[in-house]
Amino acid sequence: MLNYNSVIKNEIKQESISVKEISPVIKINLRGKKREFLTNVGKNLNMILPTEANTSTTSDKLTAIWLSPDEWMIISNELASKDTNKSDLYEMLFNSISKTNLGAVIDVTDQFVQLELKGENVYEIFSAGSPFNFNEFKEKKGSTTQTVLNHVDVILHHKDENILNLFVRRSFAEHLCSWIEDCASRL
Amino acid sequence: MFLINCPYCGERDQQEFKAGGEAHIERPKQPTELSDDEWAEYLFMRKNIKGVQFERWNHAHGCRKWFNMVRDTSNDEIKAIYKMGEKPPAQ
Repeated sequence: MLNYNSVIKNEIKQESISVKEISPVIKINLRGKKREFLTNVGKNLNMILPTEANTSTTSDKLTAIWLSPDEWMIISNELASKDTNKSDLYEMLFNSISKTNLGAVIDVTDQFVQLELKGENVYEIFSAGSPFNFNEFKEKKGSTTQTVLNHVDVILHHKDENILNLFVRRSFAEHLCSWIEDCASRL
Repeated sequence: MFLINCPYCGERDQQEFKAGGEAHIERPKQPTELSDDEWAEYLFMRKNIKGVQFERWNHAHGCRKWFNMVRDTSNDEIKAIYKMGEKPPAQ
């Protein structure tokens, strides 16, 4: 894993909302349409990719997030090693899918920053900057969505009640964090 | 708010989408046999009618998929939404 500075400059820790960066976490983008692709990924990861829109599936070690009918993001539930930039998971998927032309496997570990938003008021933050309707999302654990938050593209994953994973591109992360900080200070 | 029903993700706000111009423009089978005028017609000339128009849209900040939409340009009423490759609904 490459060594980056944390994107959070001032820690956001209030009773109603707290934000922390979770790093390093392995993130892999998967694309493919063929039936063999799905069975191959299923065998390799020991889990089924979600085919229903805006959902995710979780196993002990991994979570698969639906992004599009032929696109998924795999994230590790546990932290990865800080000493190396390689992951066995990526190598395994690359060898069985990319090399056999079944689909595309891209390591997006360093591209996305994972933030964990926690607290009763997390959805208040979104109501300020996102046009997405969170009513159903709130109710269902494992829901995912791609939307915009303060004009920045984000991927959201409902991890647990009032706990959300937010994925944002690294170049936007600092800006988004300072926006969330500002927003949280007014709640 | 102006909602668009993405055929893949469901109802989303319009700001997640990008318009992609007129739909169902066919590339000429023999481009070399066209005159410059005919080629320009294919490349640049687009309908801009007040009324029902067939358009392509892209869910740019969501699933990034393209789809077609039938929209009344005078009042933004969406008449139909269908996936790429599907037949347009009869008017």
